[in-house]
Amino acid sequence: MRRKSLMKVMRAAISDVLETMFFMTVQFAESRCTLKEWFPDEQSLFGATISFNGPSSGSLWIVAPVSALNEITANFLGRGKDEISDEEKRDTVKEALNMIGGHGFSLFGRKDTFALGIPNSIEGLTLIENMQGNSSKDTILIEAGHNRLAAGFVVA
Amino acid sequence: MAVNVLIVDDSFSMRSIIKKTIKVSGFEVGKFLEAADGREALKVLVNEWVDILLTDINMPNMNGMELIGEMKKDEVLRSIPVVMVTTEGSERRVREAMEMGARGYIMKPFLPEEIKGTLCSILGEAEYAKKELDEGYEGGDF
Repeated sequence: MRRKSLMKVMRAAISDVLETMFFMTVQFAESRCTLKEWFPDEQSLFGATISFNGPSSGSLWIVAPVSALNEITANFLGRGKDEISDEEKRDTVKEALNMIGGHGFSLFGRKDTFALGIPNSIEGLTLIENMQGNSSKDTILIEAGHNRLAAGFVVA
Repeated sequence: MAVNVLIVDDSFSMRSIIKKTIKVSGFEVGKFLEAADGREALKVLVNEWVDILLTDINMPNMNGMELIGEMKKDEVLRSIPVVMVTTEGSERRVREAMEMGARGYIMKPFLPEEIKGTLCSILGEAEYAKKELDEGYEGGDF
C-alpha cells in the first residue's frame, strides 16, 4: 500500500466523518510544521490510536485539544459544551478515530481488506512525543472551524 | 407497537447517538437496553426480550460476529433481528455478517435516515409476520 494512497483515503475519511457525525467542516493545512508548532499553547490534549492489519499493517492516530473536543463531543452527543465529562471526550476521540479508520479503509475498494484493532486512549502530549520521529508527510493537520486537530498514520 | 431495542457498542457515546437517532426517528420504544460487548449483550438477553438488536462488530471480549453466532445457537434468540452498525465496510465483512444472519448493515459514519430506513424495513416485516401469526395465516396460495 502506498503512503500516498493511505493519505488520500485518510483525508477523505476525516472529512466524511467530521462532517457527517460531528457537523464540522474540515480544511487541511498544507504547512509542514511540527505537531508542537501546530498546538503551540495547548497543555491539555487528548489522543487515540488504533492498529490496522491487512495488505500492510501499522497504526492510525488522532490528537485534539480539549477546546476542540468540547465542541466535537457536544456536537456528537447533542449536549452543551459544559456538560461533557473527560471520559466522554476520550470516548468520542476514540470513536472518531475508529470511524475514520473503518471508513478510510473501506474507500480502498474491494480487493484490500483491512482489520482494525480496538481504539485506545492516549494522553495527547505523549502521543506527540511518540510521533516526533515520524515523517511529517504521514501527518494530517486539520482545521475544523476555529479548532485545530491532527491525525496521521505509522506504517510498520 | 412499542419495541424494545438492545444497542451493543463498546463506545457509550455511539450507543447514546444511536439511541437518540432512534428516538427522533419516531419509533415508539418500550425499553432501550445497552451492552458494551457481545458477552454483556447475552447477559441482557437472558432477562429481557428485545424486538431488535443493533450491534457493532469490533468490540473487546466478544465481537458482533461472535454474538450473532451465539444467538444462532439459541432457539429463541435466533429469531431476534440483528443489524450491524459498524465501521467495517469491506465487501467480505458485509457478506460474512449477512451470511451469519444479520438482517441489516449500517456503515459508520451514518445518516439518521439510514438507521430509520433499516429499522422501518425490519420492524415493518416483523410486525407483518406477527400479524400473520396472530390471524392464523399460514401462507400459500389463496
